[in-house]
Amino acid sequence: MDKTKILVVDDNPTIRKGLSVRLRASGYEVLFAEDAISATAALVTERPDLVILDLGLPCGDGFVVMERLQKNDRLSSIPVIVLTGREVAGNRERALQAGAAAFFQKPVEDRNLLFAIQKALDVSRGELRFDQ
Amino acid sequence: MTIPTRRASEMPASLAHELRNALACIQQFGNILVDGLAGELSAEQREYLGIMLENASKIRKAVDSAQDGTSRPLEEPTNKIERVSKLEN
Repeated sequence: MDKTKILVVDDNPTIRKGLSVRLRASGYEVLFAEDAISATAALVTERPDLVILDLGLPCGDGFVVMERLQKNDRLSSIPVIVLTGREVAGNRERALQAGAAAFFQKPVEDRNLLFAIQKALDVSRGELRFDQ
Repeated sequence: MTIPTRRASEMPASLAHELRNALACIQQFGNILVDGLAGELSAEQREYLGIMLENASKIRKAVDSAQDGTSRPLEEPTNKIERVSKLEN
């Protein structure tokens, strides 16, 4: 059985490295993108099961990536978890309205992130539903 | 350590963003070490790492306070997913 594939989109290489160690230790396959353009390309070519998305990115921010995701029927069901260093005020509601399954401000506790990942995957597989 | 309560205007968003990214790295790799994902640690190494992570948490609280002007919990995940019985097709 194929491993669950997670795309980590963050322009900080140390953050990407830390997340990859944690996610791989939890049994996930991890892919990376460091800007909005490569994130969009990876979404199309790799079709990950879930995206962990920073908001502050080069070449368009995380909201641009979510907008492109939502506009593509083949990709719009991929759950997105926002993980950002930006302020909660203004960004949290905007991210949730843009379709994010969860919003975390950095630094995040690993257990909370892993729990949110599992829940979002369960929703996308039809075992849970979003509470709108 | 006393964490001063400040107004949001006292810490520029760009500075808070940089601090949060740096803290995320410290916490991520600290926890990777604590959890033994990079090999076993001695008791003494664990103790020192615990001190380091505890102080990283204090800095985070200070950043939260400076940004919000409030003292909020360490973790405030916003997740709109709710468990329900398995959906039928």
